[in-house]
Amino acid sequence: MTWARLVRAELRKLTTTNMPWAFLAVLVVISATNAFAVIWGTDFDGTKTFISTAADQQSLIAFAANAVLIAGLFGAIAVAREYGHGTVIPTFLSSPRRHRAVLAQLVAVAIGGAALGLVGTALTVAAVALALPTTEFGFMVSAGDVLRVVAAACFAGAAGAVLGAGIGAIVRNTGGAVTGAVLVLIIAPPLIVQLISDASSWVPSALAVALSGVEPEAAGVESQASALAAILVLAAWALVPAVIGLLSVQRRDVV
Amino acid sequence: MTTVDPWADNHTAGPDANGDGGFPIEVEHLTKRYGEHTVVSDLSFVAGPGRVTGFLGPNGSGKSTTMKIMLDLASSESGRATIGGRRYRDLSDPAAIVGALLESNAFHPSRSGRNHLRILADADGIGEDRVDELLELVGLADAADRRVGAYSLGMRQRLGFAGALLGDPPVLILDEPANGLDPKGIHEMRDLLRARAAKGHTVLVSSHLLSEIELLADDLVVLNRGRLITAGPLGELQEAATLVRASASARLQELLEAEGAAIESEGDGLVVRGMPITEIGQRAFDAGIVLHELSPHAGSLEERFLQWTGTPNGRDDDGAEEEEVQS
Repeated sequence: MTWARLVRAELRKLTTTNMPWAFLAVLVVISATNAFAVIWGTDFDGTKTFISTAADQQSLIAFAANAVLIAGLFGAIAVAREYGHGTVIPTFLSSPRRHRAVLAQLVAVAIGGAALGLVGTALTVAAVALALPTTEFGFMVSAGDVLRVVAAACFAGAAGAVLGAGIGAIVRNTGGAVTGAVLVLIIAPPLIVQLISDASSWVPSALAVALSGVEPEAAGVESQASALAAILVLAAWALVPAVIGLLSVQRRDVV
Repeated sequence: MTTVDPWADNHTAGPDANGDGGFPIEVEHLTKRYGEHTVVSDLSFVAGPGRVTGFLGPNGSGKSTTMKIMLDLASSESGRATIGGRRYRDLSDPAAIVGALLESNAFHPSRSGRNHLRILADADGIGEDRVDELLELVGLADAADRRVGAYSLGMRQRLGFAGALLGDPPVLILDEPANGLDPKGIHEMRDLLRARAAKGHTVLVSSHLLSEIELLADDLVVLNRGRLITAGPLGELQEAATLVRASASARLQELLEAEGAAIESEGDGLVVRGMPITEIGQRAFDAGIVLHELSPHAGSLEERFLQWTGTPNGRDDDGAEEEEVQS
C-alpha cells in the first residue's frame, strides 16, 4: 500500500536526526525534577502532604499536560524543518498528491508524540517510585490508574504533536512554528480563561489532566471535563490547525 | 528495486508513454507570475526521448521555475507541462518515471547520506539494495554513514544525483547537476547521462557551465526573462554561421548585408549569419570577389549564449534573481 510507504518514510525521518535525543533529554530532566521534588520538596507547612495519598501521587505522575506541550513543540519542529531544509521537495516528488504526504506526516508525528507521552510517563513513574523510599510514603497509585495515566499521556502526546504539526505546516519556519505552538499551548489558554472563565476546563492542559483521571481536588480545580469530552475537545484542538495546515499546502508553491 | 507499471490504476497509456515512444517532456504555453513579475511567459518546447536537452538562460530567466512547474512543485497561471503526456501529479508512481535534482541542499544536516536515501526509498517502495547500489555508483559508499552536514557541496550533489536515480526512471530533470562537482565527477555524470539518453531516456539539464553543456547536450532550449529565445539541435544552433575571408571584405560585407545577411568582423574575416554558405560563395563569385576561406563557423556556445541573451553568463542585469522573486 503506497500510503503506508509514506508513513514509514516519515517515521524514518523522525528517527534519523538528533531531534529524538534532544526530546529524550527533556523528558529525563522533567522526570529527574519530579524525583528531586519527592525527595526534597515539601508543602508550605513543611510536610509532604503532596505525596501522602494515591490521588496526590497520581497527580504527580500524570504526564499528559507536559506531553501536550512537549509533543506540540516536537510536531511543530518536525514539520517546519522539512520546509527549512528543503526536504519537503523529495516528499512532494514522491507524493505529488500532497494531502497523502501531509496525512502520512500527521500520522507519523502522532505516533512520535504518543511515544514521547509513553516514555515521559514511564520515566516519571520510575523516578517517583525510586524517590518515594526516601520518604515515609510508599507508591500508592494502583496499576489501573497508572495505566490510565499512561494512556492519557499517549493520547495527549499524539494530540499535541498533531497540533504542532499543523502549525508547522501553516508557518513553514521552525522558529515561527515553535513560537506558534508556544502561543497556542502556553500563552493563549490563560488569556482565553481570563476572557471566558468557563473555558478553564477546556484548555489543553486542563483536558490532559482530566484525561489522566486526576481528581479535581488533587488537580487544584473546581470542575473537570468528563473523559469522553476531554478526548473530543483535545482532538479538536489538534485537528483544527492540522486541517488548516493540510489545506494550506495543497497548491502552495514549494520554493 | 520493485518493478512497477507506471500507468497502473491510472487510465490507459498515453500516446507517448510506451517503450517505443519514450517519455517526452512537453511544455505548452506556460506562464507563471509572482505578483506582477512574470517569471515564465508563454513558454513552449519539447525535450525528447533519447536526447540530452540543455536548458540554458541567465539567472532569473525562469529555468528553475519551469522545472518546478513540470514537477508540480509550483503552479502556473496558464499552459501546462506534461511528461509522457501526463501531468506529474497524475503519475501513479512518479519515482518510476521521473528522477529530479533541484537543490543541492535539500537534506537534513544531521541525517546520514544513507538514511536520506533510505527515506526516499521507503516513500517510493524501493528496496535497500538499490540504496547501496547507488551509494556505490556515485562514490559515496565510504561516506554513506556520515552526516550530510559534513559533506562537501560536490558530495551533496552526488547524493542528490543518487536520489534522482533511485527509481531508475526514464526521465531525468536536473537543475545545475554539475554544481560543485570536481572534473572527475563531471566526467562521470556526463558519461552516465549520455548512456541514459542512448537507452532512449529523456534528460533535461540546466547548467551555467556552457562548456559542459556543449559536451553533453544534443539539443538546447534557451530562455531569457522567461521567454523562449531559441531551441533546437546544438549542432544546428552552433553552425548557423559562415566564416569568410575575401580579397575585398568591405565590398563583400556591403553586398551580403544588402541581401539581408547579418555580419560581424572577426579578425581579418567576416562571420556571416542568415545566408546559406552556398549562396555566399555564389554571390562572391558573381561579384568577382576572390575568396580565401569559406567555411562553417561553429563558434563557442558561450559566444552564442551572449548573442541570444544579451547578457554575460549568469546574472540578468535587468531581471531580479529568480530565487529572489520567488521568496
